[in-house]
Amino acid sequence: MDQTANREHKSGFSHWLRTGSLPTALSPEGVELKFNPWHDPEDGRFTFAGAGSHYGSSGADPTGEPSMGDRGRSRAARPSKSEALRVGTRIGDGRRRTEPRPSGGHPQSDAASRPGSPPNPVVEFVGGVGEGLYDVGKETVTGVHGALTTNPVTTIRNAGGGIAGMIDTAIAAEDTPARIQVSRAAEAVANASARDIGRATGTVAGNVALTVAPGAALSKASALRSLRLVRPRITYAPPQIGWVKEVVRSEKPWKAYNDAATGSRAGQAPTLMRTMADGSKRPVKFDGIQGDYVIDRKWSVRDMPRARAQILRQSEVLAQHRLIGIWEVPTSAQRTKALKILKKMNVTNIKVKVAKP
Amino acid sequence: MIAKQVARIIAEYVVFLELTDEEELNLDTAVEASEVLGAQLEALDKGFLRELVDAFAVIAAEYSGDAHEVVRNIAYGFYLEEALAADDPVKLAELEALRDARD
Repeated sequence: MDQTANREHKSGFSHWLRTGSLPTALSPEGVELKFNPWHDPEDGRFTFAGAGSHYGSSGADPTGEPSMGDRGRSRAARPSKSEALRVGTRIGDGRRRTEPRPSGGHPQSDAASRPGSPPNPVVEFVGGVGEGLYDVGKETVTGVHGALTTNPVTTIRNAGGGIAGMIDTAIAAEDTPARIQVSRAAEAVANASARDIGRATGTVAGNVALTVAPGAALSKASALRSLRLVRPRITYAPPQIGWVKEVVRSEKPWKAYNDAATGSRAGQAPTLMRTMADGSKRPVKFDGIQGDYVIDRKWSVRDMPRARAQILRQSEVLAQHRLIGIWEVPTSAQRTKALKILKKMNVTNIKVKVAKP
Repeated sequence: MIAKQVARIIAEYVVFLELTDEEELNLDTAVEASEVLGAQLEALDKGFLRELVDAFAVIAAEYSGDAHEVVRNIAYGFYLEEALAADDPVKLAELEALRDARD
């Protein structure tokens, strides 16, 4: 109930901000509520017409005091302050209606909490800012709560998406009103009370913050909706390693060296299938495999046509499988030769390291 | 004299590894075999290796076409001059410059 009443109150305030006119307001009993621009500058309470100061949307106070209102100025007859019957609540928070004051009681005003002392303008301003920010935040939270409770979708993901969508829509809707609020606030600020200014500032600041800084205030909620739009990260399948029978046999050190590569299998050689330009596939042999690295051990490095052709084959098949090749050579001298020939051929996906026999 | 005979044996083997059709000889296996041969040549006695290097240039005339190029470039492709100049940094630098200029 309190949320509903507050939403109606905020809606009327927004209507005034957008159009400059007030919607017809009715009390719960059906009695039409009127706007009262007259305001006691000392304690912020409403007074009868002509008593206290006139706080309208424009014009000057008939009393010569600073004023921002013109509503009802022509019909103002100014009784003395002592004769004024104080009614209603404070203005400036968007409520432009008078409310009958309960007999014998105090109005529901913040000023009432400081009896006997004039309000401190600084304190009033800060308090108003807090109220405005609180209302904006409260309305946002209320919307989130509504989205959660009215959306019967069972998955958290959809609920989160609904919340984020609602918030983003609210942000877009509040964009223009926020700017209008700023302009209207500039017009009215000269004559508003400190608390009125503070509240309006807080409201505008809150709305602007929601508008221009969703990443800061709402990033987590909005990110839930964006999850549906994010393209899933590409994951690559593990390398398609084939194994062929090793046909070369020897008891010499070079054979033992080649067979000792990491991931090698006795009597078998790991291969990658190279896709040719015509679509056919041919295997390229290596000596070992370690994760995404394919190892080729070289007892020595040569610079001959078929050795260069092998470098191109290996580089191509590694690129096709999105892998990196490693040449393991027995000495640093061989490593130097390998690095130079790879550099000459502009091959960057084959690295070289020394692996002692 | 003996160097030329050994050079001819090595040259035949190298031509086989480099020019045999892919359907007859796996390319990766051919490269692996030539890598082993290269290491063995580098390990030869320096004096005999010098004679072999000189012999390859002589016997290359006995081959034609692609085989001629293969035999003529054996010393270059197996880094045999670099093996002979392993203890001479100046000579190594000169050979490196020549290799870079060739490409």
